[in-house]
Amino acid sequence: MGRKILLIEDDRETAAYLAKGLNQEGHSVEQATNGQDGLFRATDGSFDLIILDRMLPGLDGLSVLKALRAAHIDTPVLILSALASVGDRIEGLECGSDDYLVKPFSFAELLARVNALLRRRESRVDPSDHRLTVGDLEIDPLSRTVRRAGRKLDLKPREYLLLEYFARNEGRVVTRTMLLEQVWDYHFDPGTNVIDVHVSRLRRKLDEGFEKPLLHTVRGAGYMLAA
Amino acid sequence: MPTTLRIALLAGVLALLSNLAVIGFIDWRTNDDAVSTVRRQVLEQGKVLADVYRTGGMAAVDDAIDDTMTYADPQTAIALLTPDRREVKGNVVSVPAAAFADPTGYRGYRNALIRLRGQTTPREAALVVQRLPDGQWLLSGRIAGEALTIRETLERSLLIALILAGLLGLLCGVILAHYVGQRIGDIARVANRISARDLTQRVPVSGAGDAFDRLGGQINAMLDRISTLMEELRLLTDSLAHDLRSPVSRLRSAAQAAAEADDQNEQEELLGSVIRQADSLMRILTAVLEISRSEAQTGRKQFTWFDVGELAAELAEMYDPLAEEGGARLEYDRPARPVPLFGHRQLLAQAVSNLVENAIRYGSGGGEISVHVTPGERQIRIEVGDRGPGIPTERLPEARRRFGRLDSSRSAEGAGLGLALAEAIAHLHQGELILQDNRPGLLTALQLPVHSQEARAA
Repeated sequence: MGRKILLIEDDRETAAYLAKGLNQEGHSVEQATNGQDGLFRATDGSFDLIILDRMLPGLDGLSVLKALRAAHIDTPVLILSALASVGDRIEGLECGSDDYLVKPFSFAELLARVNALLRRRESRVDPSDHRLTVGDLEIDPLSRTVRRAGRKLDLKPREYLLLEYFARNEGRVVTRTMLLEQVWDYHFDPGTNVIDVHVSRLRRKLDEGFEKPLLHTVRGAGYMLAA
Repeated sequence: MPTTLRIALLAGVLALLSNLAVIGFIDWRTNDDAVSTVRRQVLEQGKVLADVYRTGGMAAVDDAIDDTMTYADPQTAIALLTPDRREVKGNVVSVPAAAFADPTGYRGYRNALIRLRGQTTPREAALVVQRLPDGQWLLSGRIAGEALTIRETLERSLLIALILAGLLGLLCGVILAHYVGQRIGDIARVANRISARDLTQRVPVSGAGDAFDRLGGQINAMLDRISTLMEELRLLTDSLAHDLRSPVSRLRSAAQAAAEADDQNEQEELLGSVIRQADSLMRILTAVLEISRSEAQTGRKQFTWFDVGELAAELAEMYDPLAEEGGARLEYDRPARPVPLFGHRQLLAQAVSNLVENAIRYGSGGGEISVHVTPGERQIRIEVGDRGPGIPTERLPEARRRFGRLDSSRSAEGAGLGLALAEAIAHLHQGELILQDNRPGLLTALQLPVHSQEARAA
């Protein structure tokens, strides 16, 4: 299902590459190459998502973002930036962006985040206490209990959070950095495969003894929970 | 040198002013009311006589002299003398010749030793000596006694003292200016040579322990720090250039191999490796950036209060499975109470995770990794200890250097920036990274002031 995405990016090559990829995913992409133009277009509020480069000629990305939020336009914003330090990331998020992706990035990473943001907007109508189901997996966010084919799974608190995040992004790729940011709320890049170890532990509890696996590895991108 | 001259003049003027104050004080304290009254009266009397002469002429003056001699008190002196200073009338018997000099100065006022008729010895008197148009001398005055002499001498001495003080002040100023100029000149010469890129120069320290020595010492300490930083920077750029070579060349050969591969699976594999190499390059660059950011003390505005005990618990839980995979148990005893710290939660999380990853990577073989948070009133210590092979004490400084990985094969995972980054983050918090022998194994610790801004102000 295609969505309207506004891409504010001054680097033509990056913009063309992103627009092409997002078009292939079925989204319609409108482009702006500077801050003023981007802000002007964004203010009509008709977009489902804004992808915003941080360093733009004229009005910079963070100023565009602040102006948008000041005008009560709450379209989800994904910041793209070559400013990679932890401080820069925190600053971007504190300015009201919904996600912050550091350049260079893989398209798979960008797409996973775009989909997660679009999905979040769509599911806003759902009350958060709604039961989540993926195939024969049932998650009750209120009591934090998980059942698969009726059998209760014994998960540690963090494993539960991990699974709930997967379930809320059912059928979509979730990357390692997304997990680190969303489940642990850390914004640095660990030098080890610590996230993979957690996912494989969760997978053992979730899929062991069942014929059909739910938690899949997507090569070169991350993981996906799907029936 | 104009600066020297200015200092000399300033010192001279200051000496003069302070002496003026002291002398003025002495003058004010010793000022005798009686003496000044006599002076006033004598001046007044002289003026009256002059007026009498102007309005009534010689006859009126004669009458005035007679009246004075008849009615005034015996200390009053009055006399009319011929142009060659012989007495015409009056009660003054002898007057020193000096008293007649310059009769126009200060309305004819002067002090002189005179003898009155009927007195045996000359006595000090305040006198007004006026010369009448016909050449005769008109003397009027009053015997004032010793006080007047003393006063006179005192005033003259004070004036001389003032002039001397001014000259001495100027001399002191010149000496001082010369001294200051020389000491500053030493420092300036060193600064000049440093501007000419010779960082080995140091300010000579005289050993007197004075302000100039302290200034020189501080400048020298600053220069030491600058040279260390320059050396570090040089090492960093060197090792960055060196360390980026191997991942870049691996990336290049993988890309080349992918371009030449016939088999699609093989090609995909190789391209995956290209991406992994690029990612690891990015990680190195991000870490280098993070280190220099932290060392430059940026990011302090993102400081908040948080519980270190909770942060360590979170990280221990996060790394527990990884340690287990490596064959080690990760132990953490969370302090019973919150351990508040004012700092950058995200960066400290990264620092601690670097220490834990380091322990897992190199110390898992020891079977036990322990994390400790020790709260203190002013300092908090976060320790990560392993029971692995450890690092010999003499090689500890090497270990904290950027890219200072101790195994020489740099192809192994990790760019050797973990400890350097942890140290930089400790510095951001005005704290330090401690590396020590865990007997056996390595103990790494972040020692941080509870509130680094307070600690900085102190």
